[in-house]
Amino acid sequence: MYSSVVRLQNTFGFFTTVAFVVAAIIAASDLLAPRTPSVGLLKTTNLQVVRGRPHYYSSKKEEYAIIKFSLDADLSSLFTWNTKQLFVYVTAEWPSVGGSGSGQNATNQAVIWDSIITSPSADHLANLGPIAMKKLKRSAAGKSIDPNRGKLSLKNQRPKYQISHPSGKVAEQEDVVLRLHYNVQPWVGILTWNQDADFWKWTTLRNNLSKKFKLPAIKKKVEKKAGASS
Amino acid sequence: MATSQEKITVYNLADLKNTSDDAIPNYLNSLGFRQSHHLTDVRLALGYSAFALAAACFAWDYQLGFDSTKYFTAAAVAAYTLLNGALTLWVVYAERGTVYVGTSPPSAGGERTVRISTSTTKGVPTYHLTVEVTGGKKNGGVEVLKVARAFTEWFDAAGHFVAAPFQAMLAGSVPVIGKADPKRAAAAKKESGGDDATPAYTPEMLDVLAQANVSVVGSAAEEATGAEAAGKKGGKRRKA
Amino acid sequence: MLSSLQNPRQAAAQLMNFGLILSTAFMMWKGLSVISDSPSPIVVVLSGSMEPAFQRGDLLLLWNRNLVSETNVGEIVVYNVKGKDIPIVHRVVRKFGLGPDAKLLTKGDNNAADDTELYARGQDYLARQDIVGSVVGYIPFVGYVTIMLSEHPWMKTAMLGIMGLVVVLQRE
Repeated sequence: MYSSVVRLQNTFGFFTTVAFVVAAIIAASDLLAPRTPSVGLLKTTNLQVVRGRPHYYSSKKEEYAIIKFSLDADLSSLFTWNTKQLFVYVTAEWPSVGGSGSGQNATNQAVIWDSIITSPSADHLANLGPIAMKKLKRSAAGKSIDPNRGKLSLKNQRPKYQISHPSGKVAEQEDVVLRLHYNVQPWVGILTWNQDADFWKWTTLRNNLSKKFKLPAIKKKVEKKAGASS
Repeated sequence: MATSQEKITVYNLADLKNTSDDAIPNYLNSLGFRQSHHLTDVRLALGYSAFALAAACFAWDYQLGFDSTKYFTAAAVAAYTLLNGALTLWVVYAERGTVYVGTSPPSAGGERTVRISTSTTKGVPTYHLTVEVTGGKKNGGVEVLKVARAFTEWFDAAGHFVAAPFQAMLAGSVPVIGKADPKRAAAAKKESGGDDATPAYTPEMLDVLAQANVSVVGSAAEEATGAEAAGKKGGKRRKA
Repeated sequence: MLSSLQNPRQAAAQLMNFGLILSTAFMMWKGLSVISDSPSPIVVVLSGSMEPAFQRGDLLLLWNRNLVSETNVGEIVVYNVKGKDIPIVHRVVRKFGLGPDAKLLTKGDNNAADDTELYARGQDYLARQDIVGSVVGYIPFVGYVTIMLSEHPWMKTAMLGIMGLVVVLQRE
């Protein structure tokens, strides 16, 4: 009995050590895979500001910006055997009065659109209905890594989130830019975002900013048709 | 003595070593050696102060939260690391596997300090003893004796520790102990013919002695001098 | 063995070894805390609101210092809400202002709505000080043990008992 406990302990200890070493090697292998993400196009296609309420029972009215955009990006190099999912998101950034301009320290930053791109190895974890799930799984049948999923091409995409500001005002805001970001979620290891500078085999995401634009004035009534170009 | 009645797993090297280690102080103290606990006491002091520090850190963290105490916590972590490092250094460099430090009785040819450290190699059932004797007359320096003996010499097949051959081994190999216990030293000489390589006791004898010891309940001193005399009570049979 | 308890020094040493195992584990935890400046540098995911990135039982390593840049939009943060015991792991989706007074809004990747409903009554945004740390490292599944232990309290008792027994009975 006594020596069985000791053996069990030793076996468990050995198993843990091996598991951690393997995990560490897998995590470190990320560094060896080059990352060369690129952005072909990021531009706004339609801008609109409307008045609305933050939720149904609120009496306060706020201004909401609805920013439609087009995006072409190739993030396929971010998919490796240790990639669980890629979280891609587009933020709108604008300075406050007296604040600094855009950049990592833009004073106002809000996500307008995001997308979870799972690696085929993580498809079963995605939060999808049965039909969409079947479609997703079929799209990468037989593959455990599918870099094609990293190729994004969006045309006149509606934003997922209408953005506002704590002051309740966004209309006619100047110097707004859109910025594309990504976050690589590994199966094990360090989480990474688009970095500001090149790092060994990983290059930064260049050209991921749109041109500066100005949000329009409030529409008095929600009109049916809005201009197609910005 | 509980060590001789308790049965250990003979395949467990740590058990063999620990049981033998425990028998050394019992035997030597029964011969009139004065044991010094200096090494153990320093280790206990280092260990318990480290533990007390951690307990205090736990208490203030629990009572006051992390943010208001984080600089104290940082200092405590640093101090704990130092104390634990000192403890490790003490165990590795000062104790060096020492199981006994003591002064021999004046009757055994003047006072000498005996320090015994033991070790085993993984998978090899051999007991390595290093005995340092300080205060001998010749050049006043340290006399170092190295003894390596098989555990089978004093453990029977069932895993009972048998005191007599173990004590004879010590008395026979270390002159200071031999002087304090001439009877065992003589026994060791007679049995082995002065040759360290051959076991002093045959396995059959060990079994008989183990059965004898099983029924003996007595002090270390009794065991040290009269274990084999208890044979008269050794009627109880045990499966070997 | 139990016989060693007859010798007070050996008993004290054995007790000390047991104590040092506990205190060393605790101080390593506190060391991580101090380095990352976070009261809880490692957390276990308890809900599925960040799926498929994080499942229940995954282990997250946190970092709570702003050495290079401020806590920004897109980071996954662990935050506490006043009056609620359980910390929440969600992504920052909006940030207004700079520095310690910046207003932060979070949302679970797997949730349709942002976290305004989860915040305290009358609270619309988080402040930097509500955040316990940003997720920097990820180890899957390892923390599931703690979920099992908290959901089945008898396992906790049994495990502590066995651990204590093994340590007390065993030398080295």
